[in-house]
Amino acid sequence: MDFLSDTVTLSRIQFALTAIFHVIFPILTTGMGIYLVVIEGLWLKTRNPDYYLHARFWAKFYVLNFGVGVATGIPLEFQFGTNWAPFSDAVGNFFGSVLGFEASWAFMLEAAFLGIMLFGWERVNPAIHYLSTILVAVGANLSVVFILTANSWMVTPAGGDLVDGKFMVTDYFQALFNPSAATSITHMFFATFETSLFVIGGISAWYILNDLHAAFFAKTLKLVLAITLIVAPLQIYMGHVSAELVYRYQPAKLAAMEAQWETSPAGRPADWTLLALPNKKTEKNDWEIRVPGALGYILEFKKNLSEPVLGLKEWKPENRPQALGLIYYSFRIMIGIGFFLAAMTLLTAVQWLRGKLSDENIAKQRWLMRAWMFSAPLGYIAVETGWIVRCTGRQPWTLYNKIRTVDSASLVPASNVLTSLICFAAVYALLFVSYLYFGSRIVRKGPNFDLPIPGVNVNQPAIDTTPGEFVPDERPVEAQQ
Amino acid sequence: METLKYFLPQVWFGVLGLFLFLYVMLDGFDLGVGILSLTSDDDDRRGLLMTSLSNIWDANETWLVLMGGGLFGAFPRAYGTILSALYIPIFIMVFGFIFRGVAFEFREQSTRKFFWNFAFGAGSFAAALGQGFALGAVLFGIKVDEKGYFIGGTWDWLTWQSVLVALTLIQAYVLIGSTYLIWKTEGELQTTHYQSAKLSAWTTLVGAIFITVSTPIFYESARTKLFEPPLLYVFAVIPFLGIFLIWRLLKSLDRKQERAPFIWTILLFVLTFLGLALVVFPYIIPTQITIYEASADPSSLVIMIIFVGTLIPVMLFYNLYSYVVFRGKVAGNSYE
Repeated sequence: MDFLSDTVTLSRIQFALTAIFHVIFPILTTGMGIYLVVIEGLWLKTRNPDYYLHARFWAKFYVLNFGVGVATGIPLEFQFGTNWAPFSDAVGNFFGSVLGFEASWAFMLEAAFLGIMLFGWERVNPAIHYLSTILVAVGANLSVVFILTANSWMVTPAGGDLVDGKFMVTDYFQALFNPSAATSITHMFFATFETSLFVIGGISAWYILNDLHAAFFAKTLKLVLAITLIVAPLQIYMGHVSAELVYRYQPAKLAAMEAQWETSPAGRPADWTLLALPNKKTEKNDWEIRVPGALGYILEFKKNLSEPVLGLKEWKPENRPQALGLIYYSFRIMIGIGFFLAAMTLLTAVQWLRGKLSDENIAKQRWLMRAWMFSAPLGYIAVETGWIVRCTGRQPWTLYNKIRTVDSASLVPASNVLTSLICFAAVYALLFVSYLYFGSRIVRKGPNFDLPIPGVNVNQPAIDTTPGEFVPDERPVEAQQ
Repeated sequence: METLKYFLPQVWFGVLGLFLFLYVMLDGFDLGVGILSLTSDDDDRRGLLMTSLSNIWDANETWLVLMGGGLFGAFPRAYGTILSALYIPIFIMVFGFIFRGVAFEFREQSTRKFFWNFAFGAGSFAAALGQGFALGAVLFGIKVDEKGYFIGGTWDWLTWQSVLVALTLIQAYVLIGSTYLIWKTEGELQTTHYQSAKLSAWTTLVGAIFITVSTPIFYESARTKLFEPPLLYVFAVIPFLGIFLIWRLLKSLDRKQERAPFIWTILLFVLTFLGLALVVFPYIIPTQITIYEASADPSSLVIMIIFVGTLIPVMLFYNLYSYVVFRGKVAGNSYE
């Protein structure tokens, strides 16, 4: 139990725990934000009250996630100072600015307009309300842009260099648009959107399966399906593009992701392992399932590698990522989920074309509905495992190839970090249980069908439509003109 | 270039001061309302108190996130040093925020409102307490080495001065929370907060006097600075202005005015803030590190002025707009 007295390790565990827990909540708000824009747009266009009720219903999940997301996000920002002061000092010139951009461009926008989106239905006109919903979604997604920009810069630093231990920026735009930024932002954007869609789809499937408001929720399921049909394959493609960036800029991470100990030279096909058990001591895999010649097809869609794939042995042990098994299996879980979700979307689409998703038939698709329910948490697992690959694969560096993790941590006493870590673990366990409990309560309660529809005033006194008594005009004909 | 080296950190000192002031004012009344909710014995009433904040608390808290991001970007060394020196108060605040933040949404769904009402109140109290300790510790000194890294002990922040500052800050939050509730509520609830406002105005005054008197007595650096012109004249005027404002505040409370107490309280906050800023300037960690030593590269400061500074009026505008949308007395807001 040596790590209990090691500030760096404890600070890493604490950051990992708080980040892994925090990300659950913004995943749903960023993705669902877009969905709410779509739903409210449909309502404004068709004036079908179902869409309005959908907007109100799903917004409840939005706000539940938003609250926990804000509460758990603040510790992350402060930890850069409390636990990673030397890192903050070294990279403040760029990294700190980006966090400032995020707060001013994204957080404030989302927070300020969320109030109007949730409580403003009766207070502002529909156009302003719709604008608020759009700005909330924009704010949430801008957070993804800035956080991924900052994190991508840690992975592929650009736009300057370390001078006396401090990163001096020579070109801000090069740093902002660092090599992996655009791809990572897109990959995460699709990740949050796809995960949210499967949560919405999974909850809808639960209602359909239990025959509660089946027609109402069949509407969302089909809408979700129509969007995932595009998003799920695109996400697989973005995953591929991301892996190519790792191949190019972070060969050590790629070697860990594929458990490659030996370098595979260019111009020849190379083997790929489907499953393996990497062993750090013997520097090879204890066992593996090999697919001969597959690596070239996976990385470049062709038989021969155009660049060598470096093996882990190219680096000294202290410069390699350490958690090999974690990285290797997390990567495979993420990919497996990505393909599973795409396949299920396709299967459901086939059933849709066969007319099996009509209001009468949809409740009979029991296995399909169960598969959708089962898929609701899968997106989260894919995102978490993806981030584990991204961040543990970057080790032993915080700023890739420039600043080591061991040199980044504050020299606070280990007992302090241990205490705050235990508090986080206990509080987050309580929050997670409460969150699931209250989330399931919203589901069990179901939508409120008695909500007054804005613009359709039900309480208005009915206009008197009884025909008035005919009173003949008795004035002279000339005066009647 | 030389002038830029001085001018830019000064601009950012001002900008961060503005963010911190907006935070202390806006989340100040949020936290104050939270602390006040602990004294209420009626769960429905606590519900109404929380409702009065449900559409604004997150935007208010965002000013602190913004101030944190700005401090990180503009004065990275100060960010790291201050936060690692204040490890415990910062986490007291953070855990306070966590409980308070989730309480808003969990309470809405819960049938046992009691627990989450309490989480809201206790969380607000913890957040205010952590902030008070942090403020006190920063004002009264953090031990650093010649490079500006923290070298003190874990419990350095806990001194009688920081306790005094923390207690006073809590009183001030209760005061602004009470005057906010006077503005936003009516009837019995309003009557209660005329009383709490009056009480907290007196306790805040006592705390403020203690801090004002003890600072020059115990701190040589503050003494030499305060008792030399031109600051001498400023600091001769501030106490009188403060007493004038408190007198007007108490008078407006006696007259049962609805908005004036809130406005007088804000003016008091402005005055206190200006006083503190003048004492602290040009330090970011008082009497140890100046803003010029701790600041980021000038080019970073320029980029941040372009990307963050220009957005300040926009942020102020839409925050103000949301207050206009939700103007008037609080009624039962609900997601249903």
